[in-house]
Amino acid sequence: MSDRMISVTMRINGEKTGPVDLPEDLMLLEYLHEYLNLTGTRYGCGQGVCRACAVIHDGAAGAEPIPACITGVAWANGRSFRTVEGHATRDDDGNVTQLTSVQQAFLDHFSFQCSYCTSGFVAAATALVERLEAAPIAPEDVEDVVLDALNENICRCTGYVRYLEATRDVILNTPGLTRAAVTEENPS
Amino acid sequence: MANFSRRNFLQTAASTAVAIHVVPLHKALAELQTERQHQPPNWIRGGRIRFRQDGIPKVTGNKVFAIDIRARDMPGWPEDQSHALILRADRADRRFEGFNDALLPDDLRPDVIVTDAEVQRDGVTMTQEDFYGRLFLPRGEAPRYLGQPVAVLIYHDYARFRRAKGQLQFNPDALLWGGDAELPEMAPYGGARFVRIGGETPDAPDRFSPLSDTLVFADFENASPWPDADAQGDAGGRAMAHAKALREELQSPPENWAVYQGRYASQYVDPAALEPDNGNAWYDPENGALHVVVGTQSPFTNADHIEKMVSNSRFDLSELRLHPGYTVGYGQKEHHVLPYYVALAALYGEGRPVRLALDRYSHFQGAIKRHPFQTEMTLAVDRETGMFQSLAADLRANGGGVKNFSPSVGQVAASALQGIHYFPKSDIAVQVDASRAPTAGSMRGYGTLQSMVGFELLVDEVAEDLGLDPIELRRRNLMHSGMKNTQGAIPAGTLRAGELLDAAQADPLWTGRAERKRQFEVDNPGYLYGVGVSCVQKDYGTGAEAALVQLEITPDGRLHMKHVASEIGCGSTTSQMLMTERHLGRYADSVDFAVTDWPSLPLQSNDEPYTMSQEEQDEAASDPHWVPRITSPRSASNSAYYFSHATNEAARLLFDLGLWQAALGIWQDGIGGGQAAPLAIRRDQAEWRDGHLVASGLQPLSFAELARRAHDRGLITGVTVHTFNRWAWATGEFEVDGERVSGAIDALSVKWGEGASTAKKARMRDGGYAFQPRKKVNYPPVQRNNASVVYYAPLATIVELSVNPGSGEVQILSHKSWMECGNMIVPELVSGQLQGGIAMGIGHALYEELPLYEDGPGNGTWNFNRYRLPRARDVAVWSQQGEVIEPLSATDPPKGIAEVVMIPVVAAIVNAVHDATGARFHETPLTPDRIKEALS
Repeated sequence: MSDRMISVTMRINGEKTGPVDLPEDLMLLEYLHEYLNLTGTRYGCGQGVCRACAVIHDGAAGAEPIPACITGVAWANGRSFRTVEGHATRDDDGNVTQLTSVQQAFLDHFSFQCSYCTSGFVAAATALVERLEAAPIAPEDVEDVVLDALNENICRCTGYVRYLEATRDVILNTPGLTRAAVTEENPS
Repeated sequence: MANFSRRNFLQTAASTAVAIHVVPLHKALAELQTERQHQPPNWIRGGRIRFRQDGIPKVTGNKVFAIDIRARDMPGWPEDQSHALILRADRADRRFEGFNDALLPDDLRPDVIVTDAEVQRDGVTMTQEDFYGRLFLPRGEAPRYLGQPVAVLIYHDYARFRRAKGQLQFNPDALLWGGDAELPEMAPYGGARFVRIGGETPDAPDRFSPLSDTLVFADFENASPWPDADAQGDAGGRAMAHAKALREELQSPPENWAVYQGRYASQYVDPAALEPDNGNAWYDPENGALHVVVGTQSPFTNADHIEKMVSNSRFDLSELRLHPGYTVGYGQKEHHVLPYYVALAALYGEGRPVRLALDRYSHFQGAIKRHPFQTEMTLAVDRETGMFQSLAADLRANGGGVKNFSPSVGQVAASALQGIHYFPKSDIAVQVDASRAPTAGSMRGYGTLQSMVGFELLVDEVAEDLGLDPIELRRRNLMHSGMKNTQGAIPAGTLRAGELLDAAQADPLWTGRAERKRQFEVDNPGYLYGVGVSCVQKDYGTGAEAALVQLEITPDGRLHMKHVASEIGCGSTTSQMLMTERHLGRYADSVDFAVTDWPSLPLQSNDEPYTMSQEEQDEAASDPHWVPRITSPRSASNSAYYFSHATNEAARLLFDLGLWQAALGIWQDGIGGGQAAPLAIRRDQAEWRDGHLVASGLQPLSFAELARRAHDRGLITGVTVHTFNRWAWATGEFEVDGERVSGAIDALSVKWGEGASTAKKARMRDGGYAFQPRKKVNYPPVQRNNASVVYYAPLATIVELSVNPGSGEVQILSHKSWMECGNMIVPELVSGQLQGGIAMGIGHALYEELPLYEDGPGNGTWNFNRYRLPRARDVAVWSQQGEVIEPLSATDPPKGIAEVVMIPVVAAIVNAVHDATGARFHETPLTPDRIKEALS
C-alpha cells in the first residue's frame, strides 16, 4: 500500500467529484464507498473476478462495464462513471420516479434475489443495451450476445436465467437494438 | 452426543434486565424517513403482484445490506467511522506468540489491539463457547484450527486501516510463532444411529424404530461409541442388536438378494454468499447502549448472545439495538460467529463506531463451510423384483475446528439418505469429527445433499447391474403415501415423487436419449454425450419451528402485519404479505418484518424443545404464557410452510372473530333480521371476490366496510398468534368473547375495535392487546423429535451433457426438472429458487472444492480466482426447463423448496457423466483432472 497521495477529479453519475487528495493506489470502489458513501456498487472479491463491483465507464468508446474493485483512482482520474445509484430518475428528494428499461425488466422478471450482484448486472446489461444502440444485432444473435456480455457477472442466488431473459427482452423489445437478419434475400 | 438441535439457543429476551431491540436495518434507516414498509407503488396488477416487495430499493442500489452501512448512515451515531480487521492463525503446528506489531511503522500501529489478554481481563467471553469457539487464541497455545482468530485490530481512520491491512495480509511474519506443537486430540462432535426394522408389511407396526423406540447417540468417552448389543436390554441395546443382525445378514444374504456396495465423498465447500460476513457497531460508553448492524440469518439469537456476552463483562450494558440488514447466506450466516466480533470491536472502539467487514480472503478463512462427508452404503436388492430389502450406511463428516451445528448436520444427513425410497429395514450411522479445518456448519441442504447424492449414485449403479431403467428402479422402490421413513415416521400428506418420475420417464430427454447420443456424437466427433437422472425429496423445517404473526385492521380499511420473517433473498417478506388474501381477501398493506418485540403476546420459553422430557413439557404447558420456543431463524426452507401457517392462522382467526361477525351484523341489520333472515348463512359459504366478501347471495361487502363496522361495534380487529411445530402442529383452545375458539396455534391475543366497551379496553393491557389464556393445548409429544423428518418436497432432474475426454471438461447442454411444492405463493419466486439451486448444484458437481487444511481457506489466500463458481455459460441458461406439478387442491399448503432444488442435479450430472463415459465416479466435483484420470 502506498502512502503517496494524488489529486483526483472525476464525474460520478454526472456530478463532478473532487479535486480530492487520495492515496494513489486507492481503488475506485473504495472511493465510492468510503469517500462518497455510494455503496450500491458492491464488493465481491476484490479481484475483478465476480463483477459485483461493475460500474459503467463512459469513455470515448462508449459505455463500458469495468470492475471498480481493481480500477485505481489514478486511472479513473478525469474520467466519467455511472454507478447503480445514477441509473434511475429521481426527484429532488432522491425518490425514484422512473427506472431505466434494464432496471424495470430486472424488477418485472424477478431477476434478483438477495440483490448483492444486481448493481453489477445493471451496469453490464445497460452498457450492452447502449452498445447495441450504435451497433444493432440480428434477433437470432441476441441470446448469444447477452450470454457473452453477462457471463462475467457472478450471481450465487438466481442461476442467471431471469437476469438474462430480462436483458434479452429489453433488447428485443427496444426499437433499434436489433436489425433484420442478414439473408440471401435480404443482404445488408 | 447431546441432542443438539439446529436452533436450541434462543432464550427469551424477557428474562434479561437489558432492553433488547432487533430492528430491521431498513426500518432503522427509515426512522429518518417513514415508519414502516408499505406496498410498493403499482405493486398489484390484475390481482397479482408485479415484483418483489423489496425490489425497487434493491435494483436502485439503496442501502439494504449491513455491508452498505457506515456510521454516518445511522441515526444518532457519531459520524466518524473506525475500521477493524481480524487476524487469524494461518497455521496450526506452532505455538502462537503474538501479533508482530514491529512489522508496522509507527504511524500504522493499531489504535486498539484486542487479544485474548484484553478480553480475559475484561471478562468478555463468547456465549456458548463450545458451540462458537473461544473468542481468541491465547498466547502460548497452538491454534485449534486454521483461521482461528487471534486478534482484532482497530483503526480510527480508513487510510491507515487500508495501509496497515496491506502490510499484514498474506504476510507470513504478521504473527509470531513459537515452538512446534501437536494438535490436541479432539473428540468427535457427535454421532447418531437410526435403526429401523419394519414389520411384515410397510403398514404393519415397526419392530423397532427411532420414533417408536429410540434414536441412538454415540458416546465417545467409551471405547466403542455405541451401546452394546442386547436384544433383551434397553432401547439402545436392542437397537444395536437389530443393527448387528442386519449387518450380519448383509454379510450372508439370502440367495435371492444382490448386495451392492456404494460410496460417495462429498467435498468441502464454501457457500460463497456474495455478501461477505460483516457488521458495524457502536458502543456508547456514556450510557452503556450497544448498537449493532449486522448481516445475519439468526438475528434473535445474535441479540440474545451478544447481550449475554456483554452483560457478563466489565462493560455496562443498558440497551442493545441490533439491526439486521437484508442479507444472504445459504446458511453461512446462520449462527455464524462474526456478529460477536462486531459487537466486541465496538466495546473496544473508544466510543466510536467500528466497522468489521471481511474481504473475500478473510471470508474464506473464517466463514462457515459445508461439511465434507464420506458415505459408505451396503444395499440389498431382490434380484427378481428389484425391490430394496435392507440398507446399512455409515456416514463420516468433518466439522472443522468448532462444533457449531455439526452434530445435527450429521443427524439430518443420516435421516435424509433414503431420499424417495422405502427400505423394509435399515441401519444408518453417522459420526461428525473435529479437525483443524475452518469450521463447517449450516449450509443449504444441511447434510442431505451429501447423503442423498451418494444414494442416488448407488441407485444408478444397481439399475445398471440389474438391467433396469434407473427411473423404473426408483419407481419400484418408492416410499408411497403412508409408508414409514427410516426413522419410523409417516410423512405428511401425499407423497408425489412418483408423479415426477412418470413425467421424467416420459420426457423426450429421457425417451430419446439413445438417439440424441448417437446424433450428438456424430455431429461432435471426439465428444461424449450422456444423460443422467436423479430424484430426491428433502425435508423443510427443523422439528422446532415457531413463529409469531400479528394482523390488525385499521378503521379506514387497511391491513397491517407484524411478522418474525426477515429477508435472506428468497422472497419470504414478499410472500408473507400475500398470505393474508385467502382469509381476508387482501394483501397486507403495510408490514413490520423481523419483529422480536412482541408486547401484544407476552410469552416465555426455556427453549429446550429438543431436549426436554415429556413430563417437563406437560408441566410447562400448564402455564399459558409458556411456549417451547419463541421463534425460529430464517433458514431450513422454513418460511413457505411454517411462517405461512402462522400468517394463515392469524388471518383465519381475524376473519372468524372480526370480519365475519361484522358481515353478519351488516347483513342482519334492519327489521326482521334484514336481508339475511330469509337465507341460510354458513361461514363456509363465505368467499372473497374482487375485494368483496360474498356468501349465500348476500350483498357483497368491501374490506373497508367490514373494517369500519368491526371498529364501530368494538368487534375484534387485531389478533396475534404464536405457532409451534414439532413435526406436527401444536393446537390450542381459547375462549374469546365467551365463544370457544380453536386453532393450530398455542398462544393468542386479540384487540377489539375503537367502539369496544370500556371493560374490554381495560383488558387490552398487553401492547394494546388482551392476552387470551389458552384453555387447552396439545403439544406434539417430545418423542416425535425422533421422527427427524416428516415434511418433504420432491424434485426430479434430468441432465444432458457432453464430455471432452481429452480435456476432461464437462459442458451441461440442457436440464429439466419437475417439482412438487403444494400451492405456490409467488410462482416467480419458486421458479427463481429452482433455477438458482440448480446452478449451485452444478457448482457442487463440477467446480467447487476446497482443501481442508494448510492449503485450504484457513491460510487466508483463497478467493474466486481459484474457487470456481458456476457462471451463466455453465448452467445451460437458455436450454433449461422447470415444471411444477399442479397441487391436488386449493388448500395444499406451500412447501419449502429452497434446499431440495440444488440436490438432484448433482447426482444427475454424475450419472450423466457415467452415461457419457462409462466411468463411475464416487466423489465430487468432477474436475477435468478426475475425469481424465478415470478415462486414462
